[in-house]
Formats: sequence, C-alpha cells, structure tokens
Amino acid sequence: MKFLIAEDELDLQQSIVTYLEKDANICEVASDFDEALEKVALYDYDVIILDINLITGSGLEVLKEIKKNKKSAGVIIISANNSLDDKLEGLDLGADDYLTKPFHLAELNSRIKAVLRRGKYGGDETIEFNEIKINTKSRTAYIDEVPLTLTRKEYDLLVFFVTNQGRVLSKEIIAEHLWGDDSDLIDNFDFIYVHINNLRKKMTGETAKYIKTAYGSGYKFINY
Amino acid sequence: MIASTIALYFYTKNLLQDEVEEELFSTEARIVSSLKKNNLPFSLPPVIEVVEIQELKEEILKDTLIYDPSQDEDEIFRELSTFKIINGKKYRITVRNLVVESKDILIGIDVSYFIIILLAFLFLYYFNVAGNRKLWAPFFKNLEAMKVFSVKSENPIVLVESNILEFQELSNEISLLTNKVRDDYQNLKQFTEDVSHEMQTPLAIMQAKIENIINTNKIDEDQYQLFASLQKDIQRLKQLNKRLTLLTKIENNQFINIDEVDIAESMGKTIKNFKELFNVEIDFKEKKALFVSMDPFLVEVLCNNLISNALKHEPNKQRILVSCLQNSLVISNSGEKAIENPEKLFNRFYRESKGNQSTGLGLAIVKKICDLYGFKITYKFQEARHVFSIFFKPTEL
Repeated sequence: MKFLIAEDELDLQQSIVTYLEKDANICEVASDFDEALEKVALYDYDVIILDINLITGSGLEVLKEIKKNKKSAGVIIISANNSLDDKLEGLDLGADDYLTKPFHLAELNSRIKAVLRRGKYGGDETIEFNEIKINTKSRTAYIDEVPLTLTRKEYDLLVFFVTNQGRVLSKEIIAEHLWGDDSDLIDNFDFIYVHINNLRKKMTGETAKYIKTAYGSGYKFINY
Repeated sequence: MIASTIALYFYTKNLLQDEVEEELFSTEARIVSSLKKNNLPFSLPPVIEVVEIQELKEEILKDTLIYDPSQDEDEIFRELSTFKIINGKKYRITVRNLVVESKDILIGIDVSYFIIILLAFLFLYYFNVAGNRKLWAPFFKNLEAMKVFSVKSENPIVLVESNILEFQELSNEISLLTNKVRDDYQNLKQFTEDVSHEMQTPLAIMQAKIENIINTNKIDEDQYQLFASLQKDIQRLKQLNKRLTLLTKIENNQFINIDEVDIAESMGKTIKNFKELFNVEIDFKEKKALFVSMDPFLVEVLCNNLISNALKHEPNKQRILVSCLQNSLVISNSGEKAIENPEKLFNRFYRESKGNQSTGLGLAIVKKICDLYGFKITYKFQEARHVFSIFFKPTEL
C-alpha cells in the first residue's frame, strides 16, 4: 500500500511513517501545504493522511484538490481541533474519516484499514486472517466458517486486534479504542481483561492463541 | 417658631387694640359733633350710650365684659367713656367695640402658620423630589446598567452621560473597570482554549513515539511498564484538555443547537454503553419520557459524567440507582459518609479523595450544563447514599 502523510510536525510525521512501514507499506511525506498539493497532483496513493493545519495552508484545500482531480485515494483528516464543525466540513468535502490529535497509532492504523476495505471491495467488507473471517458490514466473525456470538465490544476488540496484528497493544490503547476518551475512568483498566478473556474463551483453543500477552500487561495479536 | 408665634400674637393683639381704640375715638367724635348740631342724644346699647349726667369725670378707657344674648356668652368689649359739655348740657358718652378675643387671635395665627408651613413643606418636598430625580437620573441609570452587566457579555457597558462632574468621573471609572474586566475574562477564556489546543500536537507526538518504542523488540518488561504508565499519564492530559475545552465552549455559549431531547432515553443509552463495558449493576427506573430542550451533545455529556462519577465513587462496584421522574433525574451511589465539603463539590479540580486520578472536571461540567439551561442540581447524603438530583424546570416546583 502507498500512503501519503501530510503533516508539518516532523516528529509526528516520522512516527506515523515508522509505524505504518512495519506492514511493508510505502510511506511518502509532505511537510507543508505546497508539497502536499504537489504530491497529490502528481502521484496516486491508497490513503492520504492529511493534517488540517499545515503551516502554509489548510489541509481542507488539499482535500478539495484531491476530490477535484477525482483521485481514488482514501483521506483521513487528522486535526488538533476537536470542533464538530471542522469535522463535519472535512467529511462533507469527502474525507473518509477524521481523527483528533492526539490519537494512538494503532487507532490510525485501524482506521486506515477500514478506509482501504471500503474503497477496495466496494461494500463487501471482509477481513481474513488464517481461519478467522470477519464481515465488517454485518459485524460478524467466523472461525472456519462457524459464526461466533460476540458482544459488540468483543467484536470491536477482535477487529482491532486483527487490523493491528504484530503490534503491541497496551491496555491504555485498547481501553481508548473500546470506550473513546469521553469518560474519565482511566484509573481502572481492569475491564479490559474481562473482555479479552471472554473473547479468548469464545474463540476456539487454537485460534485464541493468536492473542498473546506482551510484557505482562499488554497484548499482541500474532500469527504463531 | 414659638417665639415668633408669641411675638406675632402680642403684635397682632396690640395692633387690633389700637385700631379698636382709634375707632372708638372717631365714633365718639362723630357723636359729639352730632350732639352739637342739636340732635337728640341717642343710644344703641351696648355699642353707644349717651346719658345726661350731673357732674363731669375723667375720661375712661377700659375693657369690660358684657353679656351678649344673641350668642349667649360674655363678650369682651373695649369701652371709652368721655364726659363732655355740649350745648350747655353735661353728657356721658360711652362707646364700646367688640374686641377680638386673644384665643381667637392665637388660633388664627396657629392655623395660618400651620397652613403656611404645610404648603411650604409640600412645595419643598415636590421641588426636591423632582430636582433629585432629575439630578440623580444618570446615577440610577448607570447603577441599573451595572446591575445587569456581566463579564461574559459581548458588548461593553453602556452608561449615561451626565453634566455633573462627579457622576461623569464615576461613569468613566466604571467604563474603564468593566472594559478591563471584560478583556481579562475574554483573554482568560481564549488562553484556556489556546493552551488546550496547543497541547494537542506535542501530546500526539509523545503518544506516537511511545507506541513506536513499545513496538521495538529492544525493551524489557520493566521498561514497558514505564511506557505504559506514561501512556496513562498522557491519557490523563488528553482528557483534562478535552474537558477544559468543553467547559470553555459551554461558557462561550458555543452549543447553540437546541432540541427536544428525551433525558430518559439518553440515560438509557448511556447506561447500556456502560453495562457493555463494565461489570456494574445500574438500576434504572424510568417512569416515562422526560423531554428537555437542550443541545443533544450536552445531554450525552451530562448522562455520561453523572454515571462515571457515580461509578468512580461506588465502593466495590455495588449498585448505582438511576431514576427518571416527572421533572427530575436522580442518581445515587452508595458511600460510607457524606462529602466533607459539599459546597465545593461542583468546583473544578475539587477531589474529595486524593487517591483517584480523575480530572476533577466531571461534576464541574455537569454543573456548567445545568447552569447553562437553568436546571437545578443538588447533592445530599441520604441513607448511606450520595444522591444527585437534577430538576429540569425549577421554576415549576
């Protein structure tokens, strides 16, 4: 996959690149408005990660340019501004998703995968991992074609694991993914164990082994 | 006053007496001249008596009491008796005149005094009131303007000009002061917003870097624990930021969408979400829909914060009770003792116990939302439970 990361904060830009390149993706970067405009005009990308506040101009202008040129790239806006208006404007202009800074890279990765699925399969959205098959449209998961009865949170957890396979997911990252950051219950992440254990129990013994404990309190979904 | 009354009394009395005596003498002179013209002596008792006498005496001027049958009382008369020889005959001519009684004079003076003073008083009173009203009008108008002034208002305070130096100076100072306060308030609000905003990017960088570090294979378990706890701290900062921004937005009146929202339904959804994630018992009693006009997003925030607060302070995750009544929402969680400083409960960053790591803004936000829409929120400790109640239409209570 080929991504463009248009972000003027170089530290953040490089961190995103480092994270995404692990999956053998190609990441190009644009560090200001003009560079972003130039690159979206010249090249094709699968997904463009676009900061709204580029030093020299607005990411929304870049978005308009992308849509004007009928590029098929998916666009995820990242912004330090949490205002609903910005979000709506971005989505109205044709962005596929909107993330507010600060976000977890795993969350970004998961959103990128979702954008890719929607773009590629035109609605028939499935994720496959060995014997696991997930239909994201009907929100059901199968193991060897046998459907699993998962709660909403368990399903979200499974998708999050599969889309971030091979990466260490701390309790903090998982908690925020499942719950959002709307509520301050951060002094207690124990609820994560309960959901992961339930998920493991529902997956058959062999499949459950994909979910590994990392460093004692984190998790890693891995093809053993 | 009394002295002048006394003086006036004697003065008037003397004046009247002089006048009466003058009249007596002139009447007597006329009688004498009439007798000289050979007219017969005549009498008109008790006013005039002309009597022929044998010998002359000294002229007498005195007061005398004579019974007046018409009024059925004794009246004071001033009496002048002169003895004259007219045309060879000796006459005693007595003329009398009714004297105004001193009691009457006194009453007259008192009454007129009273009327004069009353009139003067009334006149002065109305004159003063009207004058003051005109004089103080700018002051009271400005006072009124100050009463309705709020530091949150967009526009500067409008004061009335006055041509009285002191009032003008006062207005100028008030204008300066209120403008300063308003500017400071705006700056403070802007500052909170800016700081929250500016913090987002560094936080994003820190978070991203930590995520990359824990994904390298070069760290051991102890280091991982350190990074995980850093993640938790960043999370705290994020939430703090988010909540501060939310508070500022509520204060700035940036939530302008008003919908008829069913609190009961919203609460039901929130509780369902919580139950999905946490193993807690939340007992929700909803009588019927409770529609309130407010921003739909703030309803979510309200429900969320109330439930999180109850959950956080519920020891051993026992039972949380939520009930939606006719006009109010009541949420309670169990507790061992009442909160020590209930008046501070809704303050920002007030935490009853040092132990928990909450942002300390949850209830402050709840209070702000209630204030925004004029809801009334109360806290009490009852039957070993912390009870929060929100009354949505306090005026109808």
